[in-house]
Amino acid sequence: MQSGDKDELFARSMRFCAWCGVAAIIFFVIGGVWLGGMIPPLLGPDDPPAEFVRKVSEHLLAIRIGSVFLMLSFALFGPFGAGIAAQTRRKERNPVFSYVQLMFTASGTVVALLVAFCWALMVFRPDVYQPTIVQFLADFAYFLAVFSVPVFGGWCVVIALPILMAKPGEEPFPRWIGYANLWAAALFTPGQMVLFFKHGPFSWNGLIALWLPFAAFFLWILLMSYAMFEAAKADD
Amino acid sequence: MTDMAHIGAAPPLPKASSHKTYLPGESGIWVFVSGELLVFSMFFILIAQGQAEQGAIFDQSRAKLDLGLCVINTLLLLTGSWFVAIAVERCREFMRDSGPDKRPAQNSATRYFTLALLCALGFVSIKMVEWGHKLHAGITTGTNDFFMYYFMFTGIHLFHVLMGVGVLLFLRAASRRPEITPRTMRIIEAGATYWHLVDLLWVALFALLYLI
Repeated sequence: MQSGDKDELFARSMRFCAWCGVAAIIFFVIGGVWLGGMIPPLLGPDDPPAEFVRKVSEHLLAIRIGSVFLMLSFALFGPFGAGIAAQTRRKERNPVFSYVQLMFTASGTVVALLVAFCWALMVFRPDVYQPTIVQFLADFAYFLAVFSVPVFGGWCVVIALPILMAKPGEEPFPRWIGYANLWAAALFTPGQMVLFFKHGPFSWNGLIALWLPFAAFFLWILLMSYAMFEAAKADD
Repeated sequence: MTDMAHIGAAPPLPKASSHKTYLPGESGIWVFVSGELLVFSMFFILIAQGQAEQGAIFDQSRAKLDLGLCVINTLLLLTGSWFVAIAVERCREFMRDSGPDKRPAQNSATRYFTLALLCALGFVSIKMVEWGHKLHAGITTGTNDFFMYYFMFTGIHLFHVLMGVGVLLFLRAASRRPEITPRTMRIIEAGATYWHLVDLLWVALFALLYLI
């Protein structure tokens, strides 16, 4: 970028989007890890429905407060994704991939918000709901989070493509970021296995179907936030 | 006269890479490769843990696997990797001097990519036959933990092979371009690196699932 071309406002808004990514992680750690019992999972897919009710009733207040933080966290996916798209947009003459990214950002945000809705409804009145409904809401929350592979994986792929297909020297982000996005997409895929298992590493509380995609997803957010901070430097 | 001689000479190769360690492909692909190795190590640990906890079940189940088909599959992947390595070498020859006398090198590169593709497709077909036998015998992911790992991990690997078929098709097309630039060469090397990764992961998976 030439020196006359610098856009200080862009640098600032880029940093805003990057901070949204960082904040999303912090809120998730508070809401999903510390208070909400989402990961490490408080519940198990092979628990009987009454066990679901017993466990959530024990942690009612914590999970309620956690759900509020989850909502905050997931809502920040919007600005986070828009920032990435804005940066790839600058190097695309016809911003097809950037538009596709925005589609994935929007649908990914909605899917993630629904996770928080389910988590909140699960603890709204578990004593009145049929136990199977409490169980269903937990199932639904995990399915939204990890069964949604094509949404989040597709998002990563359409970030990778404009980076890897760019002419040398015109990449919106470094090329290794492109490859890291492909890797993240690969790590989300085992999430799709939750439909087929109710215990073991491929079920929704398992190492490969839950921990791996979750760890990859939040590492990916951190990585892309870092990439946005770096991209902002060019405009200072 | 000197000018003429200069024009006739082959373009000088970039010297930058000669005195430092040469990294095939580009650094980015190695981010992907290390990431994949990390994840598959986790799978390997899970299998080892299962072996330690349910040794008897694992040994009985392993005896039911078709070792013959699997050995053929391993050979197919190893041979495919060898073909890819030869093809990359031929592409390099062609890149150094794309004159008409180097056409045979280019054609041979394309041929070797085709052979590698056939190996990959052979692997996929044999895997289908192998799974078919198991499913026919009433063995599924639900039978026990060993077969859960067997189907899931070979399935995840098969997914990588299928992606690899796409990569090989892309490499084959790249090898047919009228000229191979250093940039194209790096893309070819990156793709070949991915294919070798698929091979490497299989060898480890093969040892852990079929041989121990």
